[in-house]
Amino acid sequence: MTVEVSKVYLLDVATGEGVEAELRDAIEQAQIDDWAKHWIPVVLAAIQDLVARQVPRADWPQSLHWNWPKKITRVQGMLAFPGFSVVAQGVTQGLAQLDLTRGCQEPGQKGKPLVYVEYLEVAPWNRSELGATPRLRGVGTVLLTAAIALSYEEGFKGRIGLHSLPQADAFYRRIGMTDLGPDPACQNLRYFEMTVEQARAFFEKEEGR
Amino acid sequence: MTAKRTMTLNLTDAEMRVLDDLSARKDITKTAVLRQALRLYQTIDARVERGEKLLFENDTTKEKAELMLL
Repeated sequence: MTVEVSKVYLLDVATGEGVEAELRDAIEQAQIDDWAKHWIPVVLAAIQDLVARQVPRADWPQSLHWNWPKKITRVQGMLAFPGFSVVAQGVTQGLAQLDLTRGCQEPGQKGKPLVYVEYLEVAPWNRSELGATPRLRGVGTVLLTAAIALSYEEGFKGRIGLHSLPQADAFYRRIGMTDLGPDPACQNLRYFEMTVEQARAFFEKEEGR
Repeated sequence: MTAKRTMTLNLTDAEMRVLDDLSARKDITKTAVLRQALRLYQTIDARVERGEKLLFENDTTKEKAELMLL
């Protein structure tokens, strides 16, 4: 399999400078190795901190228990479940796994195919909700933009959907996605969808930056 | 963008009508319909190979029907 690599830019929060990064249209062994070697120790430290601060478990970021090797093994070689990764400064900065088998829920586009973002996670050192100042900004936006671009490439006209973890609800509203409310079929997480028009507006805004 | 190869496809009139209809209803090109069909077929086949069943449930009556794949 040939992996397509695109050049993207992230923001180094400490210096305010742009950082060159690779957007790769796959999640490979190197990403799984980075997850085990670099992400997990930071996640474990964050969990220890949450316990020490007696933060109720219900308020912990839900993605802390995500096991990427398991997620990737489950969909290995399956056309319907592509993945993306962002690599910068020699290490994986974010991962996304998508599902192309689902249909839209938003009344104006119900039943039409979309790119469903099954999992999207940025490296723990880039997440402000884990306590420290993030190192790099823009990883989640790069991955979401890749999902919308894939939707165009597949002929789905930019339509994407996802169930949001509570700490990300405001972000998805801010970028213009339609909030279809809590979904009892998915742990009551809020379901967001991007329409053809919203995708066009999203790209026009991104290009204007 | 991932490189793609081109192939010729021979379809009957009935198959072409179904393809046209799906393309219009799903608001995607005929190529996109066929690529989507391939993804779904691979996904279903992999799950059936693992010993799982393909069931449809009526949202209103909750009646279940199994789709037999031979």
